[in-house]
Amino acid sequence: MSDATHPAPVPAVSRPAPRPRWRKLARQNALHLLMAPLALLWLSPLIWILVTSLKTNTEVFDQAAGFLPASPKFSNYPSTLSVAPFGTYLINSVIVTATILACQLVTITLAAYAFARLTFPGKGLLFTLFLLQVMFPIYAIFLTNFVTLREMGLVNTIPAMIVPFVASGYGTFMLRQSFRQVPSELSDAARLDGCGHMAILWHVYLPLVKPTLIAFGIISVVTHWNDYMWPLLVTNSEGIRTLPIGLGLLAKADSGADWPRLMAGTTIVVSPLLILFVIFQRRFIDSFMHTGVK
Amino acid sequence: MKSTISNLTRRRLLASGLAAPFVSAMPGVLTPARANETVKLQFMYPVGVSGDINTIISNMIAEFNATHDGIEVEAIYAGSYDNTEQKVITALGVGEPPALWLPINSSLQTFLGLDALEDITEQAKADDIYDDFIGGFLDTAVSEDRLYGLSFQPSTPVLYYNKDAYAEAGIEKAPETWDELFQAAKALTVRDGDALKRWGLIIGGGWHDWMFEGYCRQNGLVPWEADKVLWDRPESVEALEFWKAMVDAGCMAPASTWQGSANDFMAGSTAMLYHSTGSLTNLRTSSPFEVGVAFMPKRKQFGASQGGGPIMIAKNQSDAKKEASWTFARWMTNTENQAAWSRATGYLAVRKSSWEQPEMVEYLKEVPQAEVAMKQSEFSGAFLQVPAYSRARDTLKSAIDRTLAGEVAPEAALKDATAEVNREIARVMRRRG
Amino acid sequence: MWLAYALLLPSLIFLAAFTYWPILRSIWFSLHDVLLGDPDIYWLGAENYLRLLEDRLFWKVLGNTAFYTMITIPLSIVVALLLAVALDSKLRGMAIYRSAFFYPVMIPSVAAGMVWVFLYAPGYGPINEALTAVGLPRLDWLYDSTWALPAIMIMAVWKYSGYFMLILLAALKLVPSDLYEAARLDGVSGWQRLLHITIPLVSPTLYFVIIIGTLHSYQIFDYVYVMTQGGPADSTNVLTFYIYQNGFQYQDIGYASALANVLLVFVLGLIGLVAMTLGRKVHYLGER
Repeated sequence: MSDATHPAPVPAVSRPAPRPRWRKLARQNALHLLMAPLALLWLSPLIWILVTSLKTNTEVFDQAAGFLPASPKFSNYPSTLSVAPFGTYLINSVIVTATILACQLVTITLAAYAFARLTFPGKGLLFTLFLLQVMFPIYAIFLTNFVTLREMGLVNTIPAMIVPFVASGYGTFMLRQSFRQVPSELSDAARLDGCGHMAILWHVYLPLVKPTLIAFGIISVVTHWNDYMWPLLVTNSEGIRTLPIGLGLLAKADSGADWPRLMAGTTIVVSPLLILFVIFQRRFIDSFMHTGVK
Repeated sequence: MKSTISNLTRRRLLASGLAAPFVSAMPGVLTPARANETVKLQFMYPVGVSGDINTIISNMIAEFNATHDGIEVEAIYAGSYDNTEQKVITALGVGEPPALWLPINSSLQTFLGLDALEDITEQAKADDIYDDFIGGFLDTAVSEDRLYGLSFQPSTPVLYYNKDAYAEAGIEKAPETWDELFQAAKALTVRDGDALKRWGLIIGGGWHDWMFEGYCRQNGLVPWEADKVLWDRPESVEALEFWKAMVDAGCMAPASTWQGSANDFMAGSTAMLYHSTGSLTNLRTSSPFEVGVAFMPKRKQFGASQGGGPIMIAKNQSDAKKEASWTFARWMTNTENQAAWSRATGYLAVRKSSWEQPEMVEYLKEVPQAEVAMKQSEFSGAFLQVPAYSRARDTLKSAIDRTLAGEVAPEAALKDATAEVNREIARVMRRRG
Repeated sequence: MWLAYALLLPSLIFLAAFTYWPILRSIWFSLHDVLLGDPDIYWLGAENYLRLLEDRLFWKVLGNTAFYTMITIPLSIVVALLLAVALDSKLRGMAIYRSAFFYPVMIPSVAAGMVWVFLYAPGYGPINEALTAVGLPRLDWLYDSTWALPAIMIMAVWKYSGYFMLILLAALKLVPSDLYEAARLDGVSGWQRLLHITIPLVSPTLYFVIIIGTLHSYQIFDYVYVMTQGGPADSTNVLTFYIYQNGFQYQDIGYASALANVLLVFVLGLIGLVAMTLGRKVHYLGER
């Protein structure tokens, strides 16, 4: 188990005494032997989603029918899209999640730096106050926030889905932990070179915590991309609504789900995220090669 | 970042220009309609049976807007029944309700408690509503002889059965009484050694309190009055004992979920299912076998509670809007629209005249199952229209679940639930003063 | 010093408007009879809190929440840590594994909930098929008040391990690799490297994940909402769902606020406890 779960890191440069090739191969294969079935287990619901999205309604629960559809029914996809203006929803989802992320990255970077590297009175208390955001159950604040947004004249606008999430206690906490991991020699050296706090933050800290920023980014995007209850409450017009509301139409409450189209809808909603993740998780790895930490 | 937000706001407002007109509907401020001014109405609705309903409703609204000068309706999809109710109530709380909405009929007292509903008795009497609406459907929006909504998409639970399974077990017709139901469920249950292969019966979970009220009605009891529930009456206890007996005999599932139970039926994991008439189209077209539909079996009589909802009109809006809202609600429930809506969704048309439409007669020939629910509605009434109905429902569901799981005896469970809910109703009524 | 406050200001403005104000209002509401949809509120004093003590369901819900949190979170984190360590390499195929374990996080909860309702189906669900195949008894899962909550917990591990894995992976990238090299040259085994190098070095992140994971257990709301609505027999009702039910379904904002405040105090206490114990042991690379 130990050897399998912890493969030797393979640094790009300066390897001491290369090991025999067969041992490395054995290691890799042992890892695959363990991970492949596990990954398959994890993937099975996704496979089911994809397969079901191509079935006819009668095939889904027919015990006599095979696992795969007799002939893939690709028309489920256009038919799903016809239920609601998914194109508009997609654009809105992109605007909402991207704006939230951009705002959050600014607010959390500034706040996390203060908490990680500066000393000031009330630090502990303020940090707890930041965490309050994560601790308080969201349904207990819905009503008040709805009233606040209405007073601001924002109900039924795109910003209504953005402003409550601009500050992130979660992101601040996450980034603070990473900032505190950055060796202080690095910032000391920069300070000796005459850099101010902002320059140190920008040139020393941010490049080093890129993995954390990306991890936070992915998580923030996923959260707000899939948010359903809040957008449903604060929006009315089709022109400003987001993808999960379209999906909600297919998970109809009264009569049992429209499985093929619900799964087609799920695939449609998830695909942009999945593609983004595959791209970013490459960058996630690449970003370390240049940081000099590893 | 902040500049991005305000830019967006401005752009949004310029683009839509929607928010402004509705701000005028503030409490007490009646804005008389000037001539030639278009009255804008918001209509919030849930989608219960199929995503396509969204398209159907959009088309209906488009047609209405095209044929009615001076009125413009904006249709707002608001999620499930629960979501719709919450969205409307939240809007009511800030004094900006939509002009009309479509909630579940049990919420009548909730909205009356908020003084949110326009009394439409007089308009309805002047019109043909009282003559042409099927009585049981009309009643779901009546409180103390006043009418507060036009029934739009009523449903009742019905008994669905798997015709293949019936043929296999040699059962020729659907059970008509509780005893026959029990016998049929036993005969239809399939076991492989200890492992259960097929249940005889599943009662759709999540709404099993709705079915339970049907059982009470079949046993001669309407288990609630305006300000209390009566689940501790012998008729009701007997109904729960009957359920318990079926569970103990191993032919009925002790619990289920709403989506899960529909799946179980389609997959052949249960031979019979209590589910909404609203599910008819889905079950009929998605099951790989022929689906039968029957009345829920009777004890003393047939009986069912109505699900589905009426279109309600907000009290807190200008007279011009109220008038336009009436026009719209009336149009949505006219003979042709009801007939078309019923065929498209499986909900029941509310008008007698709709059922006589040639298209409808044709449809009933094609899908005779659709008529069953219609006929059963003759024996149906409103569903649990008490204040705090939502908590009442959850309390009853919990009591039923715990009984069927064997944690508590039927009578004790119902007694506790009744006391708890009646206390809660009293608390809510006290507030109303 | 002023710089620090200036840096916190942008966050604090938004937190004040959309977090602190609602919390203050919720404290105020909890002392009143507040009906959703009705602008009038009536003073009650402590009545909402006293109701809470007598509310049988509240205690059950509290128990469910504690049970869920105490098992699901540690389990997800252990799974996530093992996955992260295994996948922290540049070997071929790692990208696929990472995606395979992370994608559940991306599935909208409505859809994920519905898929698992299918997987758990007693009659034809693949999970029961698998159980029978290895000779175990079939379970009724979501239809059985004993197994419904564990069923949701298993699903939560599937859904969230990838989430914690990603955060831990990011942390592992910060661990200087020369430490491993040195250890390996000294003949330290993989298991010991994990215990004595990896875990201490990622401890700040692990600490973060434990705290966030605990708070993240709020997410169970989505699955309860989609899959069981708290049933059967309240066996899957958890605090966040109960707060939602009271506030939005029962319109009882006063009572929902009281519940939320109790939850807040409870969580603050829990986090305080974690900070006092685990927080002290955390080793930050950047601090000597």
